[in-house]
Amino acid sequence: MSQYNKMAARQRKWMFYLLAIFVLGAGFTPYLRISLGLLLGSIISFYNLWLLQTKISDFSEAVSKKEKPRGIGTVSRFAAAALAVIIALRFDEYFHMIAVLLGLMTSYIVIMIDFVVFKNKD
Amino acid sequence: MGALAAAIAVGLGALGAGVGNGLIVSRTVEGIARQPELKGQLQTTMFIGVGLVEAMPIIAVVIALMVM
Repeated sequence: MSQYNKMAARQRKWMFYLLAIFVLGAGFTPYLRISLGLLLGSIISFYNLWLLQTKISDFSEAVSKKEKPRGIGTVSRFAAAALAVIIALRFDEYFHMIAVLLGLMTSYIVIMIDFVVFKNKD
Repeated sequence: MGALAAAIAVGLGALGAGVGNGLIVSRTVEGIARQPELKGQLQTTMFIGVGLVEAMPIIAVVIALMVM
């Protein structure tokens, strides 16, 4: 397993842990609206993370094989974020807007912490 | 005015992301083409770079949809 694949698997694992924590928060705490917002945001954020990992892997594979590379999916990620916000605006009684925004930033926090912790270990 | 604010927010955010992504991707392609054995390391650097560059325009998209 290459260094990149190990990093990608580690980030997905941490995102799953966070999603589990948010599900528990939605089920067992009185802050339902905030937890559901965080859950919606982090689901979309997880999709964004997976898309980024897959697209970058495909991109560098194509470059190293001297094939024509396809895009890196920037517009798809913006559209996914817009979808999360539209859902949160439409169902305002269930989702807290700021929580959705914080949830959308989850994967970036995971990426940064993973980078800082593991930059000298691999 | 809300639509104008949204357009400016998303437009400037996307402009910055476009320039940033362009710089990162061009340097990575150059590096992989020159030294294919460093692919793994360059891929990781590109991933982190693109991820961090795109955080700001995603916030811009959210803010634009909120003010609209």
